[in-house]
Amino acid sequence: MALLEVSGLEVFFDLPDGELHAVQGVDLTLEPHDRLGLVGESGSGKTTTVLGLMGLLPPTASVAGSVRLDGRELLVGGEQGADSWRWKSMATVFQGAMNALNPVRTVGWQIAEPMRVHGTASGTARQARVRDLLGLVGLPRAVEHSYPHELSGGMRQRAAIAMALACEPKVLLADEPTTALDVVVQAGILELLAKLTDELSLALVLVTHDLAAAASSCTRMAVMYAGRVVESGPVEEIGTAPAHPYTRRLFASVPDPADDRPVASIPGAPPRLDRPIVGCPFAPRCDVAFDRCQDERPELLDLTATHSSACHHGAESLPPPAPVAHLGVPAGALADGGLSGGSQTPAPVLELADIEVAFPGRRSWTDLLRGRPRPEVRAVDDVSLRVLPGEMLAVVGESGSGKTTMAHTIVGNVEPRAGEVAVAGHDRRTMTRRERQQARQQVQLVYQDPYESLDPRMRVRAILDEPMRVSGVGGRARRAEVADQALRQVGLTPPELFLGRYPHELSGGQRQRVAIAAALVMDPSVVVADEPVSMLDVSIRADVLDVLDGLRRSRSVAVVMITHDLSTAAHYADRIAVMYLGRIVETGPAREVLSNPQHPYTQALMAAAPTLGRTPRPLPFAAEGMGADARVPSGCRFHPRCAVALPSCREHDPEAVTVGPGHEVSCVLPLAQGSEVTVS
Amino acid sequence: MIRSGYLLKRTAFMVITIYVVITLNFFMFRILPGSVVTNLARVPQSTPAFREHLTQEFGLDESPWTQYVDYLRELAHGNLGVSFANQQPVASNLRSALANTLPVVTLATVLSLVLGVATGVLSAWRRGTKLDQVSTNAAIVLYSLPTQWIALILVIALSKYLPTAGTSDPFLIGHQPFWPNLEDHLIHMALPCLTLVLTLYGGNTLIVRSALLETLGEDYMLTARAKGIGRGRMMRSHALRNAMLPITTLVTLSLGTIVAGAILMEVVFSWPGIGSALYRAVQERDYPMLQGGFLVVTVSIIVFNFIADLLYFKLDPRVSE
Amino acid sequence: MSAAAPVGKSLRLGGLARPLRRTASVLRARPAAAVGLAVLVVIVLVSLAAPLLAPYSTDIASGQVYAPPSAHHWLGTDDGGIDVLSLVLIGGRVSLIVGAAATAVAIGVGGTVGLLSGYFGGWVDMVLMRITDYFLVVPDLVLMIVVATLWGPSLTHVILVIGLLLWTSTARIVRAEVQSVRSRVYVRRARTIGVGHLAVIWRHVLPQIAPLLIANTVLSVATAIFDETSLDFLGLGDPNGVSWGIILEHANDRTAAAYGAWWAVVPAGLCIAAVIVACYLLGQALEDALNPRLKVSHFSIRSWRLRTLVGRGKGAI
Repeated sequence: MALLEVSGLEVFFDLPDGELHAVQGVDLTLEPHDRLGLVGESGSGKTTTVLGLMGLLPPTASVAGSVRLDGRELLVGGEQGADSWRWKSMATVFQGAMNALNPVRTVGWQIAEPMRVHGTASGTARQARVRDLLGLVGLPRAVEHSYPHELSGGMRQRAAIAMALACEPKVLLADEPTTALDVVVQAGILELLAKLTDELSLALVLVTHDLAAAASSCTRMAVMYAGRVVESGPVEEIGTAPAHPYTRRLFASVPDPADDRPVASIPGAPPRLDRPIVGCPFAPRCDVAFDRCQDERPELLDLTATHSSACHHGAESLPPPAPVAHLGVPAGALADGGLSGGSQTPAPVLELADIEVAFPGRRSWTDLLRGRPRPEVRAVDDVSLRVLPGEMLAVVGESGSGKTTMAHTIVGNVEPRAGEVAVAGHDRRTMTRRERQQARQQVQLVYQDPYESLDPRMRVRAILDEPMRVSGVGGRARRAEVADQALRQVGLTPPELFLGRYPHELSGGQRQRVAIAAALVMDPSVVVADEPVSMLDVSIRADVLDVLDGLRRSRSVAVVMITHDLSTAAHYADRIAVMYLGRIVETGPAREVLSNPQHPYTQALMAAAPTLGRTPRPLPFAAEGMGADARVPSGCRFHPRCAVALPSCREHDPEAVTVGPGHEVSCVLPLAQGSEVTVS
Repeated sequence: MIRSGYLLKRTAFMVITIYVVITLNFFMFRILPGSVVTNLARVPQSTPAFREHLTQEFGLDESPWTQYVDYLRELAHGNLGVSFANQQPVASNLRSALANTLPVVTLATVLSLVLGVATGVLSAWRRGTKLDQVSTNAAIVLYSLPTQWIALILVIALSKYLPTAGTSDPFLIGHQPFWPNLEDHLIHMALPCLTLVLTLYGGNTLIVRSALLETLGEDYMLTARAKGIGRGRMMRSHALRNAMLPITTLVTLSLGTIVAGAILMEVVFSWPGIGSALYRAVQERDYPMLQGGFLVVTVSIIVFNFIADLLYFKLDPRVSE
Repeated sequence: MSAAAPVGKSLRLGGLARPLRRTASVLRARPAAAVGLAVLVVIVLVSLAAPLLAPYSTDIASGQVYAPPSAHHWLGTDDGGIDVLSLVLIGGRVSLIVGAAATAVAIGVGGTVGLLSGYFGGWVDMVLMRITDYFLVVPDLVLMIVVATLWGPSLTHVILVIGLLLWTSTARIVRAEVQSVRSRVYVRRARTIGVGHLAVIWRHVLPQIAPLLIANTVLSVATAIFDETSLDFLGLGDPNGVSWGIILEHANDRTAAAYGAWWAVVPAGLCIAAVIVACYLLGQALEDALNPRLKVSHFSIRSWRLRTLVGRGKGAI
């Protein structure tokens, strides 16, 4: 008898006009020490499954199937019956710890509450247990008296884990516990969850949309599609030989720095769950579907003792997923290097020299009375960059590294306090107002969130027309023609189908492509893309990135891509610049940086980034050295978190040194190790 | 510590607001066109002698700046001028009026809050049920009825059973021991108090209910539910505790409604409080009384606002500057 | 989402299609709002036709003093022997005019202040919000009494006084909403591509805050009518006019209660309450529809249900 046995779990939601079949029969088995990654895209039913297991569904839901915990059936008791096991035997960590914790209660109070209510510990024992739990999740004791808003995102998530462990549950359900956290912080949380599973003999269900996170921190994996598990098995097996076509394509849509295979989105969209599904729900998007797939929904069948898949192809070996050609660019060419290796170097289209951006900070009343000056936050400090036409530069860093500020500086939304921004050789400082406005059009910004960057009350036509009309480009007919062309270029064909739509009538990937098209209508020479895919489902990210990639190839547009994701940067960019606290600490050709990272911070980022088919490596430095305090340390700004810092790092801010062709690092270590370097 | 900055800021705001109101008071009554001074002819009892009296009272022969300084100096000594109507100092008139107003308003406010929170919580608890519908609809209707109308209806309906005017039976004064006197007072307070409770109750219920409903949709309520703590505790320790924040804000904003209700109630029941004083001042164009009354009521509301700020500070650990 | 179908339809209706459809769906989803709207429409129509409907003159006595309801005077007569039904019919006109006009003033001032404050932020916001804060703490009715007394009683004064003191809550609400719209990326994007402030406000900000402004307008009408009634009751309204507030004032002044003349009090009060309930229901429904947080509740007394799946042996309970 397994610890947790879920069989045939189904969840329905009443809708005003019908019913949504969100979970359509999920089977899961968990033993102590198991770490199961429940992977799926948005709408696949994974979060609903967790809520169903915990009995936390809203009144519009109805449930069928069976959930057995230690042999006890949980569902029959309904909401009332849940009191006997909820949190005591099975507990959860929710997504977005900011809102999952009560803002007006201290962290200690919230951790102690379940013990108080369930009577598992009282008085001083409870206090002691709270402190133990904080230690267990790696938080200082003082946090007990803190309020949630006083903690950083990672600390809050740790507190939520401590809260979940309060009553010593046997099963821990973690629903997207690392979404919206930085890579390094995420790695710390995943590592903690893995450690706890082992030490406390827990069974862990990690719900995530991040294939790599699941692959690198779980022992088993279950892939959900259209409300069902379509493949499940040990991570090593699925990672190396995925059986289900959906899993195969999903893996193929995620870039992996460890290998150079082409990356491609999955065409089409998941089926709607408010209609009955006939046949295999993946069939319309599947490149190996055949007649039977149209009529008969495949059941989950065992391929080996531990590995099962719901596909009519069964264990047959399938051809590797066919790469999809995009925008006239041959599919194979996408992974090739860029132009940077060319023999003659063209003039850079964008040049930043010693850029410095500072924002006024907050000054407390006491400081004001004492006459202290207003502090400032240096978001970007002494940054120089060069981008060639048709080149893609990826700027990588954590939140707070200043990468977004830099994007806005390049575009001209933010005025640098010092330094030069030159577009096509013209320094922006020496321009008149009018020239500057024109220069602005040369540099276009694509924002992170396509749900936010398009006015919900404007049609695509108006969205594309607005920038041209404002700048007085051409007549109505000419503008319509340009808009048409732009849509074609981002792959939204035929344009007539999209021009009349409102943003809410488009999918996420389509919206982001419209946003790119809106940048293209001004015929820019530089496109700055701020985390262009972080809000999109994994399976369609490649599409948007391919659009950007295609632009620089077909139109020689220089692309500056701001990202936190090293794998994506490595796969698409020609060059990478790694930022830390407003500084560029390492820059160089993508491959070179990736294969031979020199700065300890770059090395840490690489270690933290989850990759397919690899267990996490221990991080080379304390994961959460930096809280909300944005004070810049003296000397090398990375030294407080650096595992290999020398005593001198505290005082000396290292200069950039060249360690290879075009590869520069701001660290003393390459020097100390005696590599062949030249001070630039 | 940053949090103390909040207190400093709110105190500063209170002091500045009081100063602004004092200055506004000066301007409204003496400088602005249409005010008493620029338009003496509008004063009903406008004989030459009266004008002379007004000129004296307000020091009209001085320059505006001197007048302003004099006004502030007199105010600092607690001198609000002399009432036209009864030739008594405005300050002592207002003091006795305030003594009549405060007990009934305080009692009614507390009662309406307690009742409002009780039914508001019940409504939110049983959202969508018959009970919720009945209670919410009743609250909306009460909220929509003008105070003076409620007062008049109560007078018509209950005048046979309860006194409908004044604070006490004139024949009892001074000759009776303490307890019958108090009883008489309370009986006289019954209808005025009931009027105010009915006026304020509806709004309070609606405020509590909607604040709670918003809180119940927050993510931390799902966490609380997952923790398996009972519904009573969920409501008390999580929902109500968080809803206290918007409730405090909204109840503070409705202080004006309490004042308005008190004025209208006092007029109908001839309750000799601050509302009646203002009403009489309006009727008799007794400008010093009106000016003084305005100042006293406004400053009290500002002070209550400050108290609410302190409460908010206590309730929400997140407030800082 | 199959989006091709609705495109043609919404093209014809133009930009109004979405707001209209949305309002219609709010009304459908909340019957209370529809009731509110219906009541308002009826009251406005009746008030428009009041001179035709009123059975007697409101200036001349048409019966005994405080005559109870009868076949001649359905709602009895007041202290001057004037027909109460006619008074109530005619009196609604003043109350509605004041409610509408004062709200127009309040929304105009409050909307502008909130828009400027929220959109430009910085020192503009600081100055405007300080002013708003002062107005917010001063008790409305008391300040209205003082100003109305100093200005003297008249309809225009009542409208101005109410309007100029009612705008603060509108300003606060609009400011908060504009701030949130302003921080949205598409507004920043519009600024980046060089769209002027006025155009950004007109094209991107105003359409977003319009629904909230409408809800706030409806709720403001209720407050304005309430204030008007109070001012009239205190003798600060138009001394020669007839309004619901003045009907109540007369009833109180001339001790209708002592005569037990409930008919001189009840109808006017119920009319006021009807308008305010209607405004409240409509305004609140519009506001609720805009508040996504109200759609979820983690505290429902009903719970999810178990269902038996017929014909599926495996896992069914």
